[in-house]
Parts: sequence; C-alpha cells; structure tokens
Amino acid sequence: MEIAIMQIEQLRNFISEITFTDIDKIREDTLIFEEGIFDSLGFLSLISFLDEEFGVEVENDELNEVNFESINAIVAFIAKKKIIQ
Amino acid sequence: MEVKPNFTKDILKIHDIESTVNAICNNLKNDILKVLRRKGGIIGISGGIDSSVTLALAVRALGSDKIKGLMLPERDSSPESLELAKKLADKFHIQYEIEEISDALDGLNCYKRRDEAVKKVFSEYDPLNYKFKIGITPNPLNPSLPAIFNATIIDSRGEKNSKILPLAEYLQIVAASNFKQRTRMSMIYYYAEKMHYAVIGTPNKHEVEQGFFVKHGDGGADVMPIAHLYKTQVYQIARYLDIPQEIIDRTPTTDTYSAEQTQEEFFFQMPFYLMDLLWYAFENNFDAEEVGEVVGMTGKEVQSVFNGFVRKIKTTDYLRMSPIKY
Repeated sequence: MEIAIMQIEQLRNFISEITFTDIDKIREDTLIFEEGIFDSLGFLSLISFLDEEFGVEVENDELNEVNFESINAIVAFIAKKKIIQ
Repeated sequence: MEVKPNFTKDILKIHDIESTVNAICNNLKNDILKVLRRKGGIIGISGGIDSSVTLALAVRALGSDKIKGLMLPERDSSPESLELAKKLADKFHIQYEIEEISDALDGLNCYKRRDEAVKKVFSEYDPLNYKFKIGITPNPLNPSLPAIFNATIIDSRGEKNSKILPLAEYLQIVAASNFKQRTRMSMIYYYAEKMHYAVIGTPNKHEVEQGFFVKHGDGGADVMPIAHLYKTQVYQIARYLDIPQEIIDRTPTTDTYSAEQTQEEFFFQMPFYLMDLLWYAFENNFDAEEVGEVVGMTGKEVQSVFNGFVRKIKTTDYLRMSPIKY
C-alpha cells in the first residue's frame, strides 16, 4: 500500500513536470489522455520513466487505455508487471 | 444563412474543378508577382503527388519558363522518386536541377548521429547490413492514446525486429533525420535567391494542420498553394491536370529512412479517404453518430478519432507558430 502511495506521488510529480501542468490538477483518477494532458512525446517519456524508475518494460500490446488512462491504472499496471517479472 | 449539408462520402468532391484550379492559379500568380514580388517560383519535386500537383498548378499559373524544379535526393531516397520527378519535369517542360545532398548531410553528421541512436536500441544494427525506419504502433481506432513510435530494423533476409523507441533515442533520430528537410530547404532557397524566385511549398491540408512537416524544413516556403486541399482533392486535381499515372498510383511515402515506409504507417494511421472525411467532419462539427454511419464506424470510435485530432492540433501548434517577438 505504501509503495503504491509512493508511486502515485512519483507519477504525479513526473507528469506535472513533463506536461507543464499544475500538480494540483493531476489526481490519481484524472484521465490523463482524454483531458489532453499527454501527447506522444509525453507518453514516450512516461514509458521511459516506468523503465528507469520501476524497471517496467512496456510491450507494444500493452499500450492501451486500461493500462495508461490514469495514475491509478498505471500503478495497477506496474503491480501486474512486477508479479509477472 | 448557409444550410449545413448532409454528411456523405462525396462531401469533399470538387464539383467545378476548372474553377477551383483557376482560382488557385490566379491567387498563386498574384501572390508571387505582386505580393512577394518575385520573378517566378521554385519547387522541390520528389516524385510524390503533392509536389507534382503543386508544380502543375504553378506552371499553369506562371508558365513553364518561370518555374524551376529541384530534385534533392540523398543516400536513403528511393531511386524511383528521382525518376518520377524527372518524368514530371519533362512532361511540364520545366528546367530542373538535381542536387545530391548526401555529402552535405555527411558534413552535418546526419547519418552518424542517427545511426548512433539506432545502435543504442539495436546493438546489432549496422547501416550497411540493415535497413531502418520509424513507425507508429498501429492503433487507428483507439486514438484516445497518443501514437507511440517504434523503430524497426530489417536485415538482408527481410527479418524484422521492432522495439518501442526510448525517448532520448527517438529525439536524436528525429533531430538527425530532420537535417534532410532543412538541408533541402537551404538548397531551395539558394536557387530562389539566386534567381529572385519565390519558394513554392508543397504541403497539403493534413500535413499543415496535423503538423506533419519539419519546422524550417519542408515547412519553410513563401507560398503554399495546396495547403487548403484535402488529400483526395489533391488526387482529383492531379487527374484533371494530367499528372503521370505512375505518380498518382504511387503510395505516399516519407522517403526519409532506408526502409520503405508509407505516410499512413509513419503518421496518419488511417487511409487518406477516411482521414479526409473524418477531418472534414471534425472541422465542421458534424455529429459523431451521423459520421459513423457514413464511414462504417461507431459514434464512439469517431468521437475518439476527433479527440485524437484535438490533441494533434494542440501538440503541433509549436510547429506552426512564428517566433514569439517582444
């Protein structure tokens, strides 16, 4: 649980920095793509960030809304990948 | 008050093509001679449909003696591009020059910088033994997520290996590859200034509005006569202006990487006829359900494409912006 909370904060900070968005506007359930916060470059940055910070390598077929639509989804995706790894 | 037409598959068809072509030509002649005050026009011709139609329009507007074509191949260009460009130039009786830019690109370390980044992704990559390209993860009907670029290398037996590009390598490959368009732009302006001509740019509506061009590269021009035309309209005008059939039939490619790559694969992610209809519907606020019935998609899928368009416009605004002046 504590790990998830830490990951949420790390992701909020990262997304805020990379997208030039006020951190207060980024909640765990914010739909980061629907609300236009992320573009292609941001998405690519996020994928690199998951690899560098959490050791999670994203595969092509994992690039979908279920895994990436919000911080909550990303944290769940990280957890799922960790179990597989 | 203008009544909004029903959305149909033919909504973008140009009905009076002669008037449309004449209007473009009149504007182009006026803009080059009166507004820009240049003696003629210079066009980089690639053997693709957009530069071919632009050239044909320019010749019709100003006469073949006032238009010069430039072919600017480099190491990764398809030989077919040059052959088709020559055929076009001959057909429209224009003078042209061929400037091979590979040495200039070598001087800028374009290939070296690009290959260095590719090698970080694929340790086995050697440009002598592999072809390389960047593509988009196919996701045409789920555009609520932005496109992600993949790198693909292809060995001499045709074996492919694809990976998602890490950010740093993606940026380096794009920055290095963009030397190509910017070098071409420099050479085109060399001829333009030498001849006191204007540079006629060749992007169509999608390329301009969706940001499929290199800032200060192929986006650098004095006038862009087909920048308001949808791709299917460009093809319609191509047939009217009697562009060589091989050019009309050719699949639009980027002609930028050593492996062949279509524009659909690299950027647009859907066929042009569909892109045209959806972009028109988006621009003119048609209802997603109504559009979906015509193009064979659900309203939700259409809305998702519209959302992707909003994001594309927003994220490519930077490319279309002039410098911010204080």
